Amino acid sequence: MTKRGLFSKKNLTVLAVLLLAAALPFIAPYEGLASEILIFALFAMAFDLVLGYAGMLSFGHAAFFGIGAYGAGILLIRVYPSVLLALLGSVLVSSVAAFLIGFASIRRRGIYFTMVTLAFAQMFYFIAFKWTALTGGDDGLQGVPRPSVGPLDLGPEINLYYFILFVVVISTAIMVRVVNSPFGSTLQALRENRNRTMSIGYDVDRFKLMAFVISGFFSGLAGGLYALLQNFVPLSSLYWTTSGEVVVMTIAGGMGTLFGPALGAFGIILLRDVISNYTESWSFFMGVLFMVAVLGFRGGIIGVLRDRLKVQV
Amino acid sequence: MSFQFVIMQLFNGLILGSLYVLLALGLSIIFGTLGIINFAHGAFFMLGAYTAYTIMTFLVPNFWVALICVPAIMALFGAACEVLLFRRLYAMPPLYIMLLTFGLMLVIQDVVRMVFGSMGVPFPTPESLSGAVNLGFMYYPKYRLFLIAITAACSIAVWLFLTKTRLGAVIRAGTDNSQMVDALGIDINRIITLVVALGTGLAGLAGVLAAPIQNVRHLMGMDFLVDCFVVVVIGGMGSIAGSIVGGLIVGEIISVGVMVWPPMANTLIYLFMAAFLLARPRGLFGREAFHD
Repeated sequence: MTKRGLFSKKNLTVLAVLLLAAALPFIAPYEGLASEILIFALFAMAFDLVLGYAGMLSFGHAAFFGIGAYGAGILLIRVYPSVLLALLGSVLVSSVAAFLIGFASIRRRGIYFTMVTLAFAQMFYFIAFKWTALTGGDDGLQGVPRPSVGPLDLGPEINLYYFILFVVVISTAIMVRVVNSPFGSTLQALRENRNRTMSIGYDVDRFKLMAFVISGFFSGLAGGLYALLQNFVPLSSLYWTTSGEVVVMTIAGGMGTLFGPALGAFGIILLRDVISNYTESWSFFMGVLFMVAVLGFRGGIIGVLRDRLKVQV
Repeated sequence: MSFQFVIMQLFNGLILGSLYVLLALGLSIIFGTLGIINFAHGAFFMLGAYTAYTIMTFLVPNFWVALICVPAIMALFGAACEVLLFRRLYAMPPLYIMLLTFGLMLVIQDVVRMVFGSMGVPFPTPESLSGAVNLGFMYYPKYRLFLIAITAACSIAVWLFLTKTRLGAVIRAGTDNSQMVDALGIDINRIITLVVALGTGLAGLAGVLAAPIQNVRHLMGMDFLVDCFVVVVIGGMGSIAGSIVGGLIVGEIISVGVMVWPPMANTLIYLFMAAFLLARPRGLFGREAFHD
């Protein structure tokens, strides 16, 4: 255990990260990019609840992100222009989707789980692709408004950034609570030894399903924020490349820690922005990154920090 | 809806199903031996089509040469990937090889896009197989009948190879317990290389065969791959019969879906998969052992 107290190493780290996050829009190339980093950090942390903590490789998380984004966008355009209502809607629909997909696929372990989650995500992609009247089809959902939240006008990018930061900080706090709770410990136990956890008397599938739904909840929230940020929902938010991106963020950052995937999201979004300035071949670089991360840095950025620099995280 | 149209669509389902069968066979035997899903399988399929295009455009303008050379070239390519990349990760959990194949897929696709452009390339039906045959009740394109025949021949050949030859027996033994095979003095690494080469060769063959009837694009393998996941979930992973029956079922579902309600054709197979998962989780021919 680290030393407790106001100036413990842990509290100082949290403070440093918060300060860095508050200053991010002034450091990043442009404010929108800072917001995108936060959104994908949230998405990657949510994803890591399933991969890093419960030990299940889902290749269908684009479904929850995309459903959240479309949910928020459709509510804002067609129902009522309220950001809070839209975000509430996105977490609701993505949690329901996570429950349904999880219910059908969680009994399948390992590789089957990966294939099945991917296939279900593709199903939602095809639905969004074909249901043009509701989703705009191939063109994406255009013209998502950004109404004010109480007195806060979300129009200026910088205001939106701090709103997103607020939402992400609260969500992170909740996820930290979740992974440090008995529930989180149970998840890690079943990741390490499924049979033993079962024989102690835990209903393993129910725990996995709960983790999956919580993960879907926060992925959907990230999607809803993304719709606000872009004023637009691209069809690709549901495509399996989005699922692949969140996997590489998590692996590159270091799975099994919430902080690692957030770092991974930061690095990859930034890198994508830089590389896209020079070439169209982002997916080539992402592929190479995938292979390098898998062949060379299996602990991710966090692992390197831990081993080489002896930083406690 | 005329009777002829229905029969035509059922035949088209058979064509699509044949391509699924070739891909799912490779996916399934690689899974059996390595315990991974090969995300690059769709990219291998696409690369097969582009290799055929390259051979026919720049070397020999003959479909038959391509049909024979491409599977061999792709098998070598697969073997190289196994020796140079996959092999480094056997000591790790299977997750890592899977992610490696995902990265490989992205790299192959983007390299093909850089070389050939994102618009795709034209690929004519070979002259000797153009035109239609009178089947008595309808006319059907010659090339498509050829595709069904060659898929059937290949499926039987793979099945005979795996069940009737010594090497096939060793491969099946490796599927059950690779450490035991190793302990018996058989070099398991060579067996793995062989299996990956065989699977990749089949994907390459599917690529050449699909080229005249599909759009040859750098992303053509992606959607096919996900459909093949549905095939193996329905058929049962690691089963040859499962790949064949599953492939044909999925092909037919899509074709029938196109007749009934076109926008839902693709969604239908996922709903079918969901129903299957709830009713029979291990698939049609899946063995209980693979279920985990």
